[in-house]
Amino acid sequence: MIENCYIHIPFCNKICNYCDFCKVYANDELIKKYLKALSYEIDTYYTNDILNTIYIGGGTPSSLEKEELDYLFSILNNLKKAEECEFTFECNLNDIDEFLLSYLKDKGVNRLSIGVESFNKSILKVLGREYDFDTKSKIELSKKYFSNINIDLIYGIKGQTLDDLKNDLNKFIELDVKHISIYSLILEDHTILKINNYEEIDEDLNREMYDYICKFLKENNYNHYEISNFSKEGYESNHNLNYWNNGKYYGFGLGASGYIDDIRYTNTRSITKYINNKYRYIMENITEKIDMENFMILGLRKTQGVSNTEFKKRYNKNIQDVFDVSKLEIKKDCYYINENNLYISNYILQDFIDI
Amino acid sequence: MDKEHIRNFSIIAHIDHGKSTIADRILELTNAVDKRDMKNQTLDTMDLERERGITIKLNAVSLNYEYNGDNYLFNLIDTPGHVDFTYEVSRSLAACEGAILVIDATQGIEAQTLANLYLALDNNLEIIPIINKIDLPNAEPDRVLKEIEDTLGFKKEEVILCSAKEGIGIKELLDRVVEKIPCPKKEYNHDKLSALIFDSYFDPYRGVVLSIRVVNGKIRIKDKIKMIKTGATYEVISLGVNTPKQVEKEELCEGEVGYLTASIKSISDVRVGDTITLERDSVDEALAGYKEIKPFVYCGLYPIDSKKYEDLKEALEKLKLNDASLEYTPEVSKALGFGFRCGFLGLLHMDITRERIEREFKIDLIATSPSVIYEVTQTDGTIFKIDSPSKMPEKVKIKQITEPYIKANVFAPSVYIGPIMELCQNKRGTYIGLEYIDKTRVNITYELPLSEIVYDFFNKLKSATKGYASFDYEVIGNKPSDLVKMDILLNGEVIDALSLIVHKDFAYQRGKAITENLKKIIPRQMFEVPVQAAIGSKIIARETVKAMRKDVLAKCYGGDVSRKRKLLEKQKEGKKKMKMIGSVELPSDAFLEVLKVDDE
Repeated sequence: MIENCYIHIPFCNKICNYCDFCKVYANDELIKKYLKALSYEIDTYYTNDILNTIYIGGGTPSSLEKEELDYLFSILNNLKKAEECEFTFECNLNDIDEFLLSYLKDKGVNRLSIGVESFNKSILKVLGREYDFDTKSKIELSKKYFSNINIDLIYGIKGQTLDDLKNDLNKFIELDVKHISIYSLILEDHTILKINNYEEIDEDLNREMYDYICKFLKENNYNHYEISNFSKEGYESNHNLNYWNNGKYYGFGLGASGYIDDIRYTNTRSITKYINNKYRYIMENITEKIDMENFMILGLRKTQGVSNTEFKKRYNKNIQDVFDVSKLEIKKDCYYINENNLYISNYILQDFIDI
Repeated sequence: MDKEHIRNFSIIAHIDHGKSTIADRILELTNAVDKRDMKNQTLDTMDLERERGITIKLNAVSLNYEYNGDNYLFNLIDTPGHVDFTYEVSRSLAACEGAILVIDATQGIEAQTLANLYLALDNNLEIIPIINKIDLPNAEPDRVLKEIEDTLGFKKEEVILCSAKEGIGIKELLDRVVEKIPCPKKEYNHDKLSALIFDSYFDPYRGVVLSIRVVNGKIRIKDKIKMIKTGATYEVISLGVNTPKQVEKEELCEGEVGYLTASIKSISDVRVGDTITLERDSVDEALAGYKEIKPFVYCGLYPIDSKKYEDLKEALEKLKLNDASLEYTPEVSKALGFGFRCGFLGLLHMDITRERIEREFKIDLIATSPSVIYEVTQTDGTIFKIDSPSKMPEKVKIKQITEPYIKANVFAPSVYIGPIMELCQNKRGTYIGLEYIDKTRVNITYELPLSEIVYDFFNKLKSATKGYASFDYEVIGNKPSDLVKMDILLNGEVIDALSLIVHKDFAYQRGKAITENLKKIIPRQMFEVPVQAAIGSKIIARETVKAMRKDVLAKCYGGDVSRKRKLLEKQKEGKKKMKMIGSVELPSDAFLEVLKVDDE
């Protein structure tokens, strides 16, 4: 039984400087073909499971025109949703207006994830996301329709000071939304920043920023539940928690990943292949050993860590009998990474994979 | 074959002047090797030799050559070109009557040209000087010819112009070998057997295979033989020559060069330079020139994965079968666990041994910084030698320490005199002299402590002279020095494997440079790591490796777990070469990097 589903809409009207996600410039003809291929992919693989979460991500799903949205939601109609299904739709700020919001609400969406990234003009410029409307009013408008909203912020940009970050965080707090994903800028290959030889921020300042974020959000009653994710009580992202709990999920669309039966797969990033229904790019058979490793490396991203009871239920073994847990802390039933080391978790997670 | 038709000779040269290529061409011209089997450096059989373009082990090959209608037997004995193997070179030269001295037309006389020439002259060899690589666009045969005339004292007509690559001058060279190099002479006025061992290697099926030159008398299969120096006796099982394929023979006669097997199990029973005679009809005196060779550079070798200790032991045993000069004894380091203290003839020897272990035996190694042998006189009058800083006695018990010195000859264009002298001065060198080879090139002579050149002297020299300098040295004996043991502490703990012996006057500067260097190469850890240098209990330098600050996975978007895993796997792969030392993770090259410090 698979209860979670990710759907990727790769189209954007503008490509951001830091983005290495799977995306293409929007083009009416292509979008139509893409949605058709998507529809076919879902028909092929979806086995009528009742879904607890659906996540429409991108790219920029909100960049679709009404007709295209109609088509997309008609496809999604075929998915069976549980009563409490968390249904997230990613929005770009410029696309937010009364029409879109009421449309999405009408279609059953109950959670928005909005890419704000920063409130600071010069930082937005570095990211290639300049615009001249008032972020605050867009969010206020969204709140009229949706109570469950996530805002994405980026920090750790060369030139950004700790005060700049504090300003961004203060503005976020004023908005009073329930969830925040705040990521340190990562310089990925094949991005505009990389091509332009962007120089990264000082490592120590970056760390200072992270520590400040954790402290500040905690003071403002946000629960730090994953390395970079914070929420008000009860507003954690169920969809993402499923990833971190090493759960199964469907992934549909260009470049999407999924975990069905014992297979983890990643779809092609070539739109041409995709619209010709050549979906799968990588398929990896997950052995029990790899699954145990994944359970650890994903689960330890959560501040509460991994539960030994759960581990035992799945694999009939104790965590400490399988792994060297010397770098972990333990509380009751759970192994977790000390708060101070969360930010260097890669270093620790390496202990849990075999190469 | 009668002696008059035998010619035994070597090819000697500075490294890279084309010795092995000349050998290839000679093999080709004498039809010893089919063109289709011809590969570069035919006589160099180890992968490492081909890759590095150097010769490590000697090889001898017997060839047929026709001259004026007569058949001649050539025994060509290839020699290693590097200074570490000088003794082996000198022994193979002792098996010859002549030598071809190869000089590069683009470079001229270099340090080892001279060093090898002197070795050849010491052995009373007839020399045929040749200028190689005349086909290259930047060749300067006229200038080099002048150098040879002025510095080496050869006449212009004696020098042959060649290009081994293009095959130019090779026929002329071989004719000259017949004309100029004398045939083997009888050593004694009796017919008792004296044969020189100039090389040996271990064959798993036949035991030790000896390369020998019969200097006097003859040797037959089933002869009972005796090694004069080691006293070991054996019965000859097989004899033969390399053409380069091995061809069995019933006997080897006076003047001939070939191989011998006698079910010799251990290479330590035979010494290069020793003399073979018959057990019942023996000569008393060994042939001249035999020397016990002792390693003079030592370092610790440890497996990164401590489970591989036994594998390392086996690897060293196997290498030792073919390399009598390699020494090793078990050693325990608090930081690195179980390993071996290994002795080498020189740095290249050390480097090659290490690389062969890593490559042929697939054991990742940590090599500690190389050390020379110090002689310590204690206050109670006892004298002993130490090959490792960890064996240094307490300071109060030491009356005097002496360290080995070398005499170094540096050949370089005269514009680099300044930088070279500065470098030697920084390495505690004593200026001996300077000699102009021609208008633009000099030979600078220095006396230097061996310990100062064991690590990166040669690299420094190359960079100070844009690669134009060549360098040769000989060990000249021990001299007293004001030396102290310097410890390195990581996170407050003395790491024994990082300790080193330094001159007191240079200690502060060294300590500072080493801690700075370690700070650069030690990756950030989960906690802050102080790096200190100390003499006794006194800290003389300190740096801090800051705690790791950031090491997170990127956004796990769309649940792309495989990609995240790959990232972690890549990171972990990079960590494989790390070794946990106490509480600190060190890259395996840290122990050598320590010495790579700028003296500025």
